[in-house]
Amino acid sequence: MKQPKYQLKAEQDLAIFEFISEGPKGKIPKLIEFKETNLNGFYNLAFGDKDETTGKIDDKVVTNNDDTEKVLATVVAAVYAFTDKYPDAWVYATGSSASRTRLYRMGITKYLEQVQNDFHIFGELDENWILFEKGINYEGFVVQRKNN
Amino acid sequence: MTIEELNKRKTPIVVIDKSLEKYKEKILFPEKLAKANEVLKKIGLPKLAKR
Repeated sequence: MKQPKYQLKAEQDLAIFEFISEGPKGKIPKLIEFKETNLNGFYNLAFGDKDETTGKIDDKVVTNNDDTEKVLATVVAAVYAFTDKYPDAWVYATGSSASRTRLYRMGITKYLEQVQNDFHIFGELDENWILFEKGINYEGFVVQRKNN
Repeated sequence: MTIEELNKRKTPIVVIDKSLEKYKEKILFPEKLAKANEVLKKIGLPKLAKR
């Protein structure tokens, strides 16, 4: 992943990350969360904007800060950092809307060769997991680090 | 390390920030977490998980 990304901050467990998006709308703090689900070792990945006034987190806001690719690259970098620390973890992600899920798919597709070298990637489709292929509108994604 | 060198790394350099500890006990994205649990309940893990 050689594309530009933002500097990441995290707490000691590397389960909460923060970075600052910079663009025409200014500096917007964003949080990334890896939260363990009811199943041990299976984590939900989500990220969104942090409102510094209210302290609330919003994963539905469309920021339009002209840095979508840099933001996605930063989130992928956080997945690398998280799975370095927890190599057996499964990480699930879905968008807050169909269009955002499609955006994630496009991000994965763009860097598929690189990502497939390092991760097992599955797409969620009609209540099944299938190995990720280009051009399919998945409802969600799950990855696990390969034992390279 | 320059930002260019930083950007070439797969695994990023992460700065530890203790102020983020306050989020650890919270669920920041409850709807997403509920969705993940629902998916797990319905379809479980990919087969590869059994290793």
